[in-house]
Amino acid sequence: MAAPVAVPSDAVSGHTRDRALWGTIMLAPYVLVFAVMVVYPVAYGLWLGLNWNSYRALFADPIFIRTVINTILFLFIAVNLKFLIALWLSGFFVAQRAWVRIVLVIFILPWAVPSIPTILSFRVMLNPENGMINQQLFHLFGIVEGPGWLTDPTLAFASSIMVHIWKSLPFWTLILITGRFAIAQDLYEAASVDGANKWQQFKFITWPSLATLYVTSTMLSMIWTLGDFNSVYLLTGGGPGDLNHVLSTLGIRYMRNNNLDLGIASIIVAMPLILPMVYFMVKRLSKGAE
Amino acid sequence: MKSVRYLVTGAAFAAIAAGWSGAAFAQETVTVWFTKGFYKGEDDALLAVVDKFQKATGVKVDLSLYATEDCVTKSVGAIEAGTPPDVGFCTTYDFRTTGKWAFEGKLEDVTDVIEPMKAEFQPQALATTFLMNSKVGKKSYYAFPVEQQMMHITYWKDMLEEAGFKESDIPKGWNGYWDFWCDKVQGSLRAKGKRIYGVGHPMGIAASDTFYSFLTFANAYGAQVVDENGKIVLDQPKNKAAMIEAVKSYANIFQRGCTPPSSVNWLDPDNNVAFHNRTTVLTHNATISIAAKHLDDMNNPALTAEQRAQAKKNYEDNIRTAEFPLKPDGGVMPNLAAVKTAVIFADAKNKKRAKEFMAFMLKDENLRPFVEGSVGRWFPTTIEGAKSPFWTDGKDPHRAIVHKQYTDGTVPFQFVYNYNFTTVNAENVWAKAVNRVVQDKIAPDVAVDEMIARIKQIAG
Repeated sequence: MAAPVAVPSDAVSGHTRDRALWGTIMLAPYVLVFAVMVVYPVAYGLWLGLNWNSYRALFADPIFIRTVINTILFLFIAVNLKFLIALWLSGFFVAQRAWVRIVLVIFILPWAVPSIPTILSFRVMLNPENGMINQQLFHLFGIVEGPGWLTDPTLAFASSIMVHIWKSLPFWTLILITGRFAIAQDLYEAASVDGANKWQQFKFITWPSLATLYVTSTMLSMIWTLGDFNSVYLLTGGGPGDLNHVLSTLGIRYMRNNNLDLGIASIIVAMPLILPMVYFMVKRLSKGAE
Repeated sequence: MKSVRYLVTGAAFAAIAAGWSGAAFAQETVTVWFTKGFYKGEDDALLAVVDKFQKATGVKVDLSLYATEDCVTKSVGAIEAGTPPDVGFCTTYDFRTTGKWAFEGKLEDVTDVIEPMKAEFQPQALATTFLMNSKVGKKSYYAFPVEQQMMHITYWKDMLEEAGFKESDIPKGWNGYWDFWCDKVQGSLRAKGKRIYGVGHPMGIAASDTFYSFLTFANAYGAQVVDENGKIVLDQPKNKAAMIEAVKSYANIFQRGCTPPSSVNWLDPDNNVAFHNRTTVLTHNATISIAAKHLDDMNNPALTAEQRAQAKKNYEDNIRTAEFPLKPDGGVMPNLAAVKTAVIFADAKNKKRAKEFMAFMLKDENLRPFVEGSVGRWFPTTIEGAKSPFWTDGKDPHRAIVHKQYTDGTVPFQFVYNYNFTTVNAENVWAKAVNRVVQDKIAPDVAVDEMIARIKQIAG
């Protein structure tokens, strides 16, 4: 056995210094890009939002409180409905049959196609006078005034939620399908031998295995839903009568009125909703990594 | 070495000489931003003015034309950045920015240009450019009245006849008028199995048509909102009561199913589109752009002969331009005019030439072709322009009505007296009150209380 070679201490520190230097050089571009692309825009936005008069004006605007309520309702209804349907559909789509796979391809299309033309086509379809649905109601049943899909505040709000779900449902269904595929089939076979019915299999095998993915996906979806501008703005413009704005569309309303300060303020007030979600998301993901 | 020294010296002289000659040939420039016209004739007339000005002065006009929405957005951005053009003319400046800019001291006082030609302008049109500057603490001329618009009624005469009525059947009084289109005309067409609406009634919050139409209704009921000092007087009992009636009247047309349900979401072009599609028999619209579209089509070589012939028939026979009915109290409607303003910015680099350019542009021989190039969409602000055969020879059925309305007299928007009303209009508190009544089913007096409270917050 060869005797260990003694390394001079200054050589060790020199090596460490080199590593540290190279580390810093390699890290510098990331730090720079992060500073330019993330830190600066966020800090600049916060700095622009430091005008307290804007917040006073924002809270004094009667539409703001309505918008906050709309946003919370939109989040609660859209996200929960979407995930319940996605959970149910994922059970259907895990079936390994050829025709199910074909249906799955069709089902994914709304998510795959661009937002703007598809949502605008909904807008045309739901138009109370010339839209396909009300035209058919008129021609088939003689109903002159069909439902105001985009003109009645409640129906317009429901239509926005419907379009949002239609657009994003395929993605979350796919995520839950992959989650279901990760569950070992042996568990189902063993449960079946033990006489467990489908509901019991779901309750004791599927749900416990999917729960983490489901909750994490729900939180991520909440963040995305909060920022979903297209479904509301392209479909109703926040109308009728500014009654259906959500926080993501309120900002653009102020900007259109040349009121940049209120536009920024309306975006910043969404932070108390977004930041806890981001925090819990990161916390959950960190836990997963451990 | 000596040759190198000669070379360097020679190059230096050449560079200096080039610099001098460059300076000698650098042409003085005035930067001008305009809204692009709807019709080629407008742009051609503008280019002709620019060309004449360049030849007369030797000053280069750096002209940029922008779409209506882009024009204001770009101007606001340029002001914020401290790089405005010398002259700006956007057709929505008056609705959105002129009064505010004047108040904030962002516009050049142009009294020295206006004063010598003051007598040439219609007094009401000129009055809308006499604006408050808070920095100076007094009113002065801060804009040029280039052209103007007002509300008109437009209806399909052939659809009216299809419903079994003649033009002479149309009532003159306020309530009878709307009842006629909503009950009789629409009712008759519905009885024939047609899904047609009597009135195209703008209700959308984001449409300037909505506040223009609503404020016309408010004027019909005599609801004064501000006085000439810009003080809000809408909360005075008489004005508040009149405003409640205006809200009721405006909402009523929607409530009785007389306008397409989608009108609650209409943007500015949508009442035009519904009218062109014959979904509505009548609409009220700022400018006669609806009829003018058919005038443009009938001379458009890109269309087929049949399409041109149909457009000619539409313009000359089928479509009618009319005045509003008499006020509910039987008086004649005051015509609400919006004067389109050009400005010179306080931070402009070449204010002297900018003033020269605008003085040149406003000469009758230059301004008139520009205004008339819009085929009747804009009305002149000058007295001579309004007298021109284009408006007065009686050959054109639509322009004759427009001319009559202007000569009957006009009233300005509230933002002329209190610039904060540009914000009130942008937020469209008027349409919001109407929508509160028709959508949220609240009482008109509650909606008007909310309206007054909001107006005071913004403009009080």
